[in-house]
Amino acid sequence: MPKFNIYQEEIHPSPLMHTWWEFRKSHIAVLGLWIFAFFVFLVIFGPLIAPFDPLLQNPNAFLVKPSWDVSGSIRHLFGTDSIGRDLLSRLIYGCRLTLGISLLLVVLAMLVGVALGAVAGLTQGVRSSVLNHLLDSILAIPTLLIAIVIVGILGVGLVNSMWAISLALIPQFVHNTREVVRTEMAKEYVLAAKLDGAKNTHLFFYSILPNMYEMLVVQGTMALSIAILDISALGFLGLGAQAPAPELGTMLSEGLRVAYKSPWSIALPGSAIFLMVLSVNVVGDGLRSALRNRLQR
Amino acid sequence: MMLTQIIRKFNLLILTLFVLSILSFLLVYLFPGDPLVNLTGLENLSPEAHQKLAEIHGFDHSYFYQYWLYLTNLLEGEWGFSFSSGNPLWREIMQTLPASMELSAYALLFSLLIGVPFGFIAGFQHYKLSDYSLLTASVVGYSIPVFWLSLILILVFSLQLGWFPLSGRLSLLYDIPHQTGFIFIDIFLSDVEFKNDAAKSAVQHLILPTLSLTIVTASIIFRLTRRSVIDVMSSQYIQTAYTRGLSGLQVVMRHGVRNALLPIIPLFGMQFAVLLTNAMIVEVIFSWPGIGNWLIQAIFQRDYPAIRAGMLAVSTLVIILTVCTDLLANLINPALSGDRRAQI
Amino acid sequence: MKLSNSSQLVRFTLVIWAVFCVSACFDATEQNSPVKGVIYCSEGNPISFNPQLDTSSTTSDASSHQIYDRLLDFDPETGKIVPALASSWLISQDGLTYTFQLRRSVKFHTTGYFSPSRSFNADDVIFSIDRWRVASHPYHHVSGGHYPYFTSIGLNDLISDVKRINGYRIEITLTRPNSSFLANLATDFAVILSAEYAQVLAQREQKEFIDIYPIGTGPFQFKEYKKDHYIRYSKNDDYWEHQLAPEMLIFDITPSSSLRLAKLMTGECDAIAFPSHSELDTIRDRVDLTLDGRPGLNVGFWAFNTSKYPFDNPKVRRALAMAIDKNTLLEAVYYGSAVRAKSLLPESSWAYQADISETNYNPVMARKLLRESGIEDGFTMTIWAMPVERAYNPNARKMAELMQNYLSQVGVQVNIVSYEWTTFRERLKKGLHDSVLIGWSADNGDPDNFYRPLLNCSAIESGTNRAMWCNPEYDALINQALQYSENEQRIKYYRLANQILAEQVPLVPLAHAYRYRAHRSDLSGLVINPFGAVRFGDVKKL
Repeated sequence: MPKFNIYQEEIHPSPLMHTWWEFRKSHIAVLGLWIFAFFVFLVIFGPLIAPFDPLLQNPNAFLVKPSWDVSGSIRHLFGTDSIGRDLLSRLIYGCRLTLGISLLLVVLAMLVGVALGAVAGLTQGVRSSVLNHLLDSILAIPTLLIAIVIVGILGVGLVNSMWAISLALIPQFVHNTREVVRTEMAKEYVLAAKLDGAKNTHLFFYSILPNMYEMLVVQGTMALSIAILDISALGFLGLGAQAPAPELGTMLSEGLRVAYKSPWSIALPGSAIFLMVLSVNVVGDGLRSALRNRLQR
Repeated sequence: MMLTQIIRKFNLLILTLFVLSILSFLLVYLFPGDPLVNLTGLENLSPEAHQKLAEIHGFDHSYFYQYWLYLTNLLEGEWGFSFSSGNPLWREIMQTLPASMELSAYALLFSLLIGVPFGFIAGFQHYKLSDYSLLTASVVGYSIPVFWLSLILILVFSLQLGWFPLSGRLSLLYDIPHQTGFIFIDIFLSDVEFKNDAAKSAVQHLILPTLSLTIVTASIIFRLTRRSVIDVMSSQYIQTAYTRGLSGLQVVMRHGVRNALLPIIPLFGMQFAVLLTNAMIVEVIFSWPGIGNWLIQAIFQRDYPAIRAGMLAVSTLVIILTVCTDLLANLINPALSGDRRAQI
Repeated sequence: MKLSNSSQLVRFTLVIWAVFCVSACFDATEQNSPVKGVIYCSEGNPISFNPQLDTSSTTSDASSHQIYDRLLDFDPETGKIVPALASSWLISQDGLTYTFQLRRSVKFHTTGYFSPSRSFNADDVIFSIDRWRVASHPYHHVSGGHYPYFTSIGLNDLISDVKRINGYRIEITLTRPNSSFLANLATDFAVILSAEYAQVLAQREQKEFIDIYPIGTGPFQFKEYKKDHYIRYSKNDDYWEHQLAPEMLIFDITPSSSLRLAKLMTGECDAIAFPSHSELDTIRDRVDLTLDGRPGLNVGFWAFNTSKYPFDNPKVRRALAMAIDKNTLLEAVYYGSAVRAKSLLPESSWAYQADISETNYNPVMARKLLRESGIEDGFTMTIWAMPVERAYNPNARKMAELMQNYLSQVGVQVNIVSYEWTTFRERLKKGLHDSVLIGWSADNGDPDNFYRPLLNCSAIESGTNRAMWCNPEYDALINQALQYSENEQRIKYYRLANQILAEQVPLVPLAHAYRYRAHRSDLSGLVINPFGAVRFGDVKKL
C-alpha cells in the first residue's frame, strides 16, 4: 500500500490484490513462497549454477563425503555418489527435472481439464449426467493409483509416467471447472449477458473464466504437490525415470545401495522432495486461507 | 427417499464396475503379444491347445461375445493365470489383497484415533498457539513423501534401535497356513504350537508400516476435522445454542461433535483409497506381501495377465469402498448430498 | 451405533494394542523366537529345483547341497575330491572306465507328495546321468530338455555308457580319457535324483513335477516354494551322513542387497548371500555379524557378441578393450576386494600364467584402432548389465554406467540394457546383445572349467559362450590339454590357448573377486564352498 497519497481518493484494490494482501499477512506462507521461488529459480537457472554435469563421473572421487565432514572436500560441496558424480549437481538437476516436469504436467492437465470441464458444465442432459457420474467415481481413485495403472499399460519410463500423471491429474480440474461453470451460469450477471445474446464460448471466456483464476491457482498448488510426490514415487519404485537420470526419487532408490556408507545420498534427495512439497503445500494453504479471509470480509 | 438413494448409488456402482470390466477386457488387446495368451496367462501353447483355448474364449466370435464370456469368467473367479508364477490369479489376489486391506485398515483406525481428537482440539482453539502448532505439524506430516518416511523409520527403529523388524508381516519361522488372509485370524485359526509368539511377531511387523501410513493420513484427517469443526462452531445454530445459555461443553457435546463429524465421514472413506495407494509404496519398502507389492512386481516382469487382474481388483475395491461410505453418509444424514470434495 | 458403544470399542482396541506393543517393544525382535530354524536371505528365484537344468548359482544354491547329494564331493577346505554317495571308485589303466561303489541304506525323502519304497541304488545313478546324457530318455525333454552345464563341457558326448554291475556298483565308460571327469561328477550339477519317484510321476502323468517338487537324499527336504517370497525346507530325519542339520531352513528371497544387509542387522536373516561390496566395512565393524571371505575361483568379464558386426572384427574388440580403465572399475565396483584379471584364470589356479599379455587402458590407441576399422564417431552399442549380484560382478549396472562414460570418450555411445534375470539369460542365449557384463564361477578346480564352457564352439548353443565365439584352433588346443593327466603337459596347451585369446579378444577379463558371505555371529558351520553352491547341512545356530 502506498504510504503517502496526495488525493483523498479511496483505493479499490482488485480481488487479486486483496488476496495478495491477505496472503502476505502470514509469515509462514511468505516463507514458503520464497522457498518455492528458490526451487523455481533452480529449475530455470540450474545448469548455470551446477558446478558439474550431473552424469559426469570422476574416477578419482568415489563416495567423497560432504564438505562439512572431516574428510570431505570443498570441490564437491555435498560429496559424490558411488560412481563419482557430484551430488550437488545431481541434486540441482534433480530438482529441475522433478519440479520442472511436475509444473509442466500441472499446466497441461489444467488446460485439458478446464476445457473438458467447461464443455461438461455448459452441456446438459443424460449424456452429461452419465459422464459426470463416471468422472466422480474416477475422482475417488487416487492419482498415484491411476498413474501406476497407466504405467502398467504403457510400460515403465519417465515419458510414460509423465503421460500417466498428467492423465491422472485431469479429472480434478474437470470436476472443479464444471462446478464453477455450473454455479456461475446460474448467476444473474450471466443471465444478463445471455439475454444480450452472448454465446456460450463468449460467456465462458469473458464472464466465467475470470472468476476461476483463484480456484485454478489453489487447485494448481494441490495438483503440483501431488505431481511432485507421484513423479518421485514412481521414480523411487523404478516405474518412472530410470537411472542414471537425475530424478530425485530415482536418486533416492539408487542411494539405498550405499545407505550405510553414505547416508547423505538418501538424506539429500529425500529432503529436497520434502522441502519442495512442503513449500508448495504451505503456499497453497496460505492462498486458501487468504481467499477465505477475503470472502469473509 | 432412502431407497432411491440406495438404488441410485447401486446403479452408479454397477455402471462403474461395468466400465472397469470393459477397460480390463480392452487391456487384453492393448498389451503387446497374443491376446489369447494375455487373457489366459498360459504361455508356450501347442497349436492344438491354442486352437482349443481360442474356441473356449470365443475368439472366433465377435468382440461382444468374447467380452460376455470374459465377464462370466470374471464372476466365476476364473481370472486366468500369472505368467511369472503360473498360479491362478484369483487365488494370488485373494492372498495378497487381504494383507493390503489389513494394513490400510489399521492405519486408518490409528489415523482416526489421532486425527479426529486433535482436529477437535485445534478447531475449538481456533487461531491460538496450539492450533497453529498442530496445523504446522500436519502440513509437515502430509508433505513428507511416504517412501522417505518409511526409510527414516526403518533407519531409526529397525537398524539403530533394533526394536522392530523391517520386512514381511510375520517372521518366516512361523508357518501359518493361508485361510482368510488376515494374519491375526489365520494365526488364531491355525494349529501351530506358538500362537502367542506368532501373534506378537505379527504385531511387531505391523508397527512400522502402519506408523508410516498413519503419519500421512492422520495429518489429512486432522485437517479435515479441524476445518469442519471451525465451520460448525461459527455457524448460526451453535451461536443460538450459546445464547440459549448452554455451557461451552454442552454445546459441543450436543451439537458440535455430531454436526462436525457427519459431513466428513465420506471423506474418511475416500482417505481409505489414498491410504491403499500409499500402502502400495510402503508394501514395496517393507516387503509386505500385499497387492501393491505384487502388482508392482508384475509391472516389472511384464506379467500382463497379472497387471490386468491386479488393477481390476484394486480399482474395484476402491470404487466399492467409496460408494459404500458415500451411501453410509447419506443414510446417516440425508440432508447432506452433492458436493463434498476434500478441503484440507 | 451409539457413541458410548463405539468409545468402548475404541478403548478395548487401544488396551489390546497397548499390551501388545509394550510386550513387543521390550523384546529384541527376532532372536527370542521359540521356533528354531535358520533363515538365509538369498538373492533371487531359482528356475527349478533341479541344478542339472541351469548353471545359475541361484538355482544350485536352492537345491544342490540342500535337497540332493552327488556321487562325489569337494572338500570345501582342500578342494580335494571326497566320497559322497559313491563310497569308493576305481579308474582303469587306460583312463576310460570308471567303477563306482555306491553307499548302502541311503534313504530318499519321504514327503507329502512321495514316499519311497526302497533306498538309493544303482538305478537312481543311471537315471540321473542318462536323463541329461541320452536324448531319447523318457525324461530328457521334461522341463525343456536343456542341460547347459553338461552340454557346454561336452560331457554328454564324453560318456559312452553307464552300466549297472549290481545294485550298488556301476561302471561308466568314456570315449576318450579326460582328466577332469571326476571333478565334473562332483560339481553342483551332477545331482542324484530318485528313479522310483520318476516312475511314480510317469504313472501319474506329472513328469514335470520332478523338478518342481524335488525328491533327493540331501540333509533337507523340500516343503514349500512361493515365488519372490520364500522357500521352506525341513530337516531330513533319515539323512545318511549326520543329524546336525537345523530343524528348519528357510530361504528368504530378497533381491536388494541393501535390504539383505538390513535384515541381517535386525536378525531377520541368519546369513545373507552376496553382501554388497560397498558395505563390507559396515559388517566387519559389528560384533554380532561375521564376514567370511575367500579368494574365489571366478572371473568377471565383458564379452562381445562376435557374431554381430562390428564385433566380429578383432581389431574393434581390442579397441573397445583399450577404451576402458579396469583399475577404476575394480575400485568403484569391487571396493578393492578383487584383483585385476589378466586372463580367464585366477592366480590360485595351477594353470595360471603370470607373464601373460593383456590390453591396457589407452584411449588414444583405441580411437586410432576404431578409425582404422572404419568405425565412425557416434557409433552406438549396447552393454547388457546383469540384474543380479554375483561375486565376480557385484554391481554390473554400475560398472556399465562407468564404462558408458569411458566409451563415450572414444566416440562410442552406450545404451545399458537389463531385464529380469530369467528373461535376461533367455535373450542373451539368443544372441540379442552387442556386449554383456557377466562372469563365471568355477564349479570345480580344473582350468578346463574356465576354458571350455566360456569359449568353446559347442557352448554357443548351450548358452554359456556369451561371446558367441567359435575358433577351431582354440577348441583343438583345449581338447588336447585334456588328454594328459600331468599338469605340466596341460599348461603348455593352455598357454597357447591364452595366446589366441590375447590376439582375438572375444572377451575382456575384468576381475577375479573375493567371495563373501555374511552371517550372524551366533551361526556356525557355514563354510564358503569355493566350488559352488551354499550348503546348510552342517550349520548350527546357538
